[in-house]
Amino acid sequence: MKKTLVLTVNGERHELQVSADATLLRVLRDELGLYGTKRGCDTSACGCCTVHVDGNSVYACAVYALSVDGSAVTTIEGLGNGDRLDPLQDAFIRAGAVQCGYCTCGMIMSARELLAGTPKPDEEQIRHAIAGNLCRCTGYTKIVDAIKMAAGS
Amino acid sequence: MALPELKEFCRPQSAAELSSVFETYADGALFVAGGTFVHGLEARGLLSGVQALVDLRRMGLDTVSADDRGWRVGATVNFTRLGKMPGIDAPAFGALRDALACPPPQIRNMATIGGSIAASVPFFDVPAALLALDAVVITGTGVASRELPLAGVYTGLFTNSLAPGEYISSVFVPRPAARTASAYLKLETNANDLALIGVAVRVTMDASRRISDPRVVLGGGLNATHIRSAAAEAVLKGATASEELFQRAAEAIGTEIKPMSDHRCSAEYRAAMGKVYVRRALQRAIDRLV
Repeated sequence: MKKTLVLTVNGERHELQVSADATLLRVLRDELGLYGTKRGCDTSACGCCTVHVDGNSVYACAVYALSVDGSAVTTIEGLGNGDRLDPLQDAFIRAGAVQCGYCTCGMIMSARELLAGTPKPDEEQIRHAIAGNLCRCTGYTKIVDAIKMAAGS
Repeated sequence: MALPELKEFCRPQSAAELSSVFETYADGALFVAGGTFVHGLEARGLLSGVQALVDLRRMGLDTVSADDRGWRVGATVNFTRLGKMPGIDAPAFGALRDALACPPPQIRNMATIGGSIAASVPFFDVPAALLALDAVVITGTGVASRELPLAGVYTGLFTNSLAPGEYISSVFVPRPAARTASAYLKLETNANDLALIGVAVRVTMDASRRISDPRVVLGGGLNATHIRSAAAEAVLKGATASEELFQRAAEAIGTEIKPMSDHRCSAEYRAAMGKVYVRRALQRAIDRLV
C-alpha cells in the first residue's frame, strides 16, 4: 500500500506516492532522478548516499522515506548556484580529490555539514567529519586537502 | 531494506494511537526510531515477519531535562543532540561522551538513545556507557508504564525483557557522586564498525586515590549481552588506584566472559584484547580526575 510523501528537495516541493519500505535513497534516485546521490553498499556502511535532512547529514539508504515526511532534503545537486559550483565542489576539482568519483558526492555533503558548523576546521575535525565516508581510491589525503582549501584553512 | 511482508509505515502521535497499531499488527509490528540498525537486523534474518514499521519519533519522546537527581532523556533524542547536553563535559559522564562520539555523523544524527537500547545489540557503544552510569529505562505500553534498571533489559543476543507492545519512552541517568569519572573505549576495524571490544568503566576516587563504587561493563562480543564484571569490580572496590591494580582488575574478567568468534575476530582475540581495554579504560577514567 502506497502512502503520500511530501518532501522539499533542493528547494522544490514534491508530493509522491511511496511504498512503506521505500528508502530516501530510492525516492531520490528512482522517483526524482537525482543520480548524484550514489547507491554504494546500500547498508549504511560506505557513505556514498550521504544527503542532508533538515541540515543534518544522514545515510539516505538507511532512512525510510516516510520517516522524514515533511522534511527539507539537500542533495549534491542542491549545492552551488546555477553554473557556479559550491566552494567545496570547486576545491575537490582543484585539489585533485576525485579519482573514480563514486564517493565524491557523499564526501562533499559530509564536508558541507562540517563547514556549516565549523567554518575553519583543523585536520582532525575534518577527518572525523568524513569518518563515515569510504574512499577506495585516494587514500583521503587530497580529500582532506580539498576541504581545507574550501575552508581557507 | 527489503522487508517482504511489510504492509504499513505508521507514525503514531500518541500512546493511544500506538496501542491501536499494535492491536492490528501485534508481533508483526517493529518499533523503530532512527532506524539506523534496521539493515543490521534484516541482514541477520531477524525481520522476516515484520508487517508494519512503527516510527516512534512523533510521539513527543524527544525531551531532555536535568535536575539534582540526574538526567531524563527522551527515547527519541538522537546522539548528536545528547552529545551537546550541558554538563556532558563532566568527568563523570565521560563514558557517555566517548560512546556518543563513536559513530560517524550520519549515524549520530539519526540514532536514538532508546533505539540503541531496544535493539539489544552487545556491539553497541552507548548502552555500555549507560550501564556504567546505572541508567534506568522507563517504558510504556499505552496503558501502563514501568521503570527497570538497564541491567535488567537484556536477556540475550538481540533479545530483551520488554513485553510485546512495550516501548522505551525515556532513560534516566542518575547524577554520579562527586569525584567520579567514567570512560568508554572501543576497538573497531573502521569508523563505521560495530565494536569488537567495548568497555565502559566508572570509578569514584577519594583524595588518597581509594576507589569506591566501581563499574566495569563489557560489550562488543565479550558476551552475548553487555555484562558487568563483578570480579573486576571486586578487585577495584576499596583499593588504591594504580597501574598494577588496573591490570589485576583486567585479568579478573577472564572467568566471567564468554567471548564470541565471528567473521571479524576470534574469541581468543576478544578475550585478550578485552583485558587490555579494561586496563586502558580504567586509566582513561582516572586521568579525567587528576
